[in-house]
Amino acid sequence: MTSFPLINLWAQRALVIQFAIINIKTRYKGTYLGLLWTALEPTFTFLLLYIVFTSIRIRPGENFAIYLLTGIILYHIFSRGTLSGLSSLQSNKGILQSFHIKKEFFPITVSLATTILMTVQIGVFFTLMFFFQYTPPITIIAYPLVLLLLIILITGLTYILSITYVYFKDIQPIWGVIIHAFFFVSPIFWYVKDSHEILQMLFVINPIGQIIEIAHSLVIYGIIPPIQDWIYTSVFVIAIFFVGYFIFQKFEKRVLEEI
Amino acid sequence: MDSIIVENVSKTFRVKQQSRFLGKVQSSGIKIVNALNNINFNVKSGEMIGIIGMNGSGKTTLLRTISGIYQQDSGKIITNGMIAPILQLGTGFIDELDAYENIVMYGMLLGIKKDIIKSKIPEIAEFGDLTEFLHMKLKNYSSGMRSRLAFSTVLQVDPDIMLVDEILAVGDQVFRERSYEAFKSFKNQGKTILYTTHNLEKLSELSDRVILMDKGSIVSIGKPEAVIEEYRKMIIKRKRKN
Repeated sequence: MTSFPLINLWAQRALVIQFAIINIKTRYKGTYLGLLWTALEPTFTFLLLYIVFTSIRIRPGENFAIYLLTGIILYHIFSRGTLSGLSSLQSNKGILQSFHIKKEFFPITVSLATTILMTVQIGVFFTLMFFFQYTPPITIIAYPLVLLLLIILITGLTYILSITYVYFKDIQPIWGVIIHAFFFVSPIFWYVKDSHEILQMLFVINPIGQIIEIAHSLVIYGIIPPIQDWIYTSVFVIAIFFVGYFIFQKFEKRVLEEI
Repeated sequence: MDSIIVENVSKTFRVKQQSRFLGKVQSSGIKIVNALNNINFNVKSGEMIGIIGMNGSGKTTLLRTISGIYQQDSGKIITNGMIAPILQLGTGFIDELDAYENIVMYGMLLGIKKDIIKSKIPEIAEFGDLTEFLHMKLKNYSSGMRSRLAFSTVLQVDPDIMLVDEILAVGDQVFRERSYEAFKSFKNQGKTILYTTHNLEKLSELSDRVILMDKGSIVSIGKPEAVIEEYRKMIIKRKRKN
């Protein structure tokens, strides 16, 4: 039976929210700083890269700190979100075996937790902008659309990764490597216009890179990207979401036997 | 009226038999295990039916299939009323959260509304003798305390049909007696209950009928005394064989 993503979970929305909160509460379990790490992790990554790149770059672009920060924040949400989504089914094996619960419930609760935590990271983004005395252009009002695209992308990939992990455990280290590769092939510390053509080619098929570049336009250049860029990225991301859901649905039936 | 109708239900599992060494597959193959073979029975509303059988006979698989956790390969299952599967007491508890938060989460998983379960927390804690440990993280709970917490929460469920797996086997003697009394009260309330147990004494006291399962099939179904006797004979026969 084919159905539409998320619809089946509407009746259980209170439980989805409850589990998303639990996911957040347990994400940094046993650490002294707890949830503060959500803010500290991207901040430290940014500071490290900022120091490194401003030391080695001969002519850093204008507002390089904010350029770098824009990419790092989005990349961090993307990598954390997909990595925690990957094990969302496997780590709830006991619940899946004991309660009649839609399997889609688990990737969606993790995506919701990622969305809630994202607000903290966006808070860090604006705090650091203030720290660098940067006044963003008016185009930043379209920034929430970037976040929406990012969450759709993370959720689509979480569908694929969580179901794949049940059948094929090697996907965890493989995705770890791919995530690492995304950092280098996305315009986080380099500029699309002056990059090598191989990077430019990879950029075309890199959804997180596309999202980051739209964010650069809005936050740094003060330009609303042309409509075709929005359409291209949106179609790309929404396609990943639906393909992810389709794959998830196709393989969810035997999850309990494989888990 | 029938609360549960099970018609020609079969379920197989594909069990991977594979061993690897340094990524190289040493031996492989998929074994098909018939977990349920053409199961047929009805449960009347308000009836309490016990399921017995050796380990691996298909009791838990049957409960999981009726509750919708497993999908049958073939056959039909019709249920009338809200179902609460109580299959692994305390599954879903999170060690890093305290008992209060775990009650809320566990209650919601059992289908109880959040505000209702929250309002019942003092009652739940009192029943389980856990009031003073309500804000203690579950990782500091003993296994007995966990069982008490789970069972006290389960008592708040108000479904029409209960599917219960081995609930009479957890905790110490005092706790088992308490579980048994609570179980009896569910029966008196007219709930339809399908449950598994290895406690044959309690089984004949509680059940209206008993189902005996072996290797995924129903061997017999009927009055508790007759079916329990058949089960005893089966055990003796198996012992002799071994």
